[in-house]
Amino acid sequence: MIKVNNLYKSFGKLEVLKGINEVIEKNEVVCVIGPSGSGKSTFLRCLNLLEEPTDGDIIIDGVKINDPAQDINEIRKEMGMVFQSFNLFPHKTTLENITLAPMKVNKLSQEDAEKIGRELLERVGLSDKADVYPRALSGGQKQRVAIARALAMQPKIMLFDEPTSALDPEMVGEVLEVMRELAHQGMTMVIVTHEMGFAREVANRVLFMDGGNIVEQGTPSELFDNPQNERTQSFLSKVL
Amino acid sequence: MENLIVVLEKIITTGVAETLKVTVVALFFGVLIGLLACLGRMSKHFIPRAIATSYIEIIRGTPTLVQALFFYFGINGLLVSATGGDVRMTPLVAGMIVCSLNSGAYVAEIFRAGIQSVDKGQMEAARSLGMPQKLAMKEIILPQAVRTILPSLGNEFIVLVKETSILSVIGVTEITRVGQIQASINYKVFSTYLGVAIVYFVLTFTLSRLVNYLERRMAVSD
Repeated sequence: MIKVNNLYKSFGKLEVLKGINEVIEKNEVVCVIGPSGSGKSTFLRCLNLLEEPTDGDIIIDGVKINDPAQDINEIRKEMGMVFQSFNLFPHKTTLENITLAPMKVNKLSQEDAEKIGRELLERVGLSDKADVYPRALSGGQKQRVAIARALAMQPKIMLFDEPTSALDPEMVGEVLEVMRELAHQGMTMVIVTHEMGFAREVANRVLFMDGGNIVEQGTPSELFDNPQNERTQSFLSKVL
Repeated sequence: MENLIVVLEKIITTGVAETLKVTVVALFFGVLIGLLACLGRMSKHFIPRAIATSYIEIIRGTPTLVQALFFYFGINGLLVSATGGDVRMTPLVAGMIVCSLNSGAYVAEIFRAGIQSVDKGQMEAARSLGMPQKLAMKEIILPQAVRTILPSLGNEFIVLVKETSILSVIGVTEITRVGQIQASINYKVFSTYLGVAIVYFVLTFTLSRLVNYLERRMAVSD
């Protein structure tokens, strides 16, 4: 479903991604772990072109998306993204946050969009918060709304960029619960995370990144219980 | 005191209308030009960026007084001699154009500051949902930017009211010009210019209250 060939990304002189090759299959849940500055987030952000790759190909369903002729908006419709800092629209209510893109981009009627919006709010357990503004929500609630907002476009792929890193510890669980549910329903997911327990439980595959490369990858039990690479071992010994 | 009342009456019946005409026109076109210039300045294409940047720098780098003189006597003068007098601008029209162009440059910079104050994640979130750049700007960035720029925009509007006094040099019979004419008739300069100052203050103070009210309204809906 997602094929990444020889992906390079530099910011000025700083080379962040150094030739990544990776294939992510439909319905797969892939967690990306690794130390800060290893290029995890940049890799994820390249997948929907929030970062423009310096070199290499990103192919989604057979279409090379980092081709200037390609309409990136069409591709982004199919890929939801959840950010570390939520990025809810503060001047819109919870429901409006969710219905905006379906109405303006997919040209749904307000009625249809709100129906989808309310269903999604129920799914993330926030039916009673439809008409409040984001500032009245807790961090965990904000992130659940952000997930609902991304799902409203009915994406084929969901990207998560450290979705729980900005949360108070007691709110991490509620967000992971929504993500776990999504994984069980067969959503294709790429998750950059520091939640090793969650990665072990939910991921089909875990990628360990360091220094702009995927150093090691495997099933959670392979990677967590029997890491082969020295850098993986050293990283895991610090975080587990 | 007697003269003050005479002068105030004269200003209110003649000058205020001209000042307000220029202000309202310049306010409207200033915001319009300012928005365009701001988007031009932030464009990733070279040509719109070059045009917008030159415009803003030239306007900000020259006195409004000189702009008014240059535009009315210089450009309008050329226009008149080129067309044999068939096309000419009245002082009022020239004044409106000068003030609109002048205000536009400052408004552009205010808008730019406002847009840049919106968190980068807002644009990213909008784009990640498949919204094109322009739609994201209109739906997400500008509504948030307006809130932060309202105080500076209000300030710019007040400056604009006061700047129209410069148009007295090109013969627009706005408040200051009416005052000058009155003073040259009655020789009572103290009370005459006191009257002029009072009228400006009433106008700008009203405007400043109005802006405050708008700010509070926006804060409530947040």
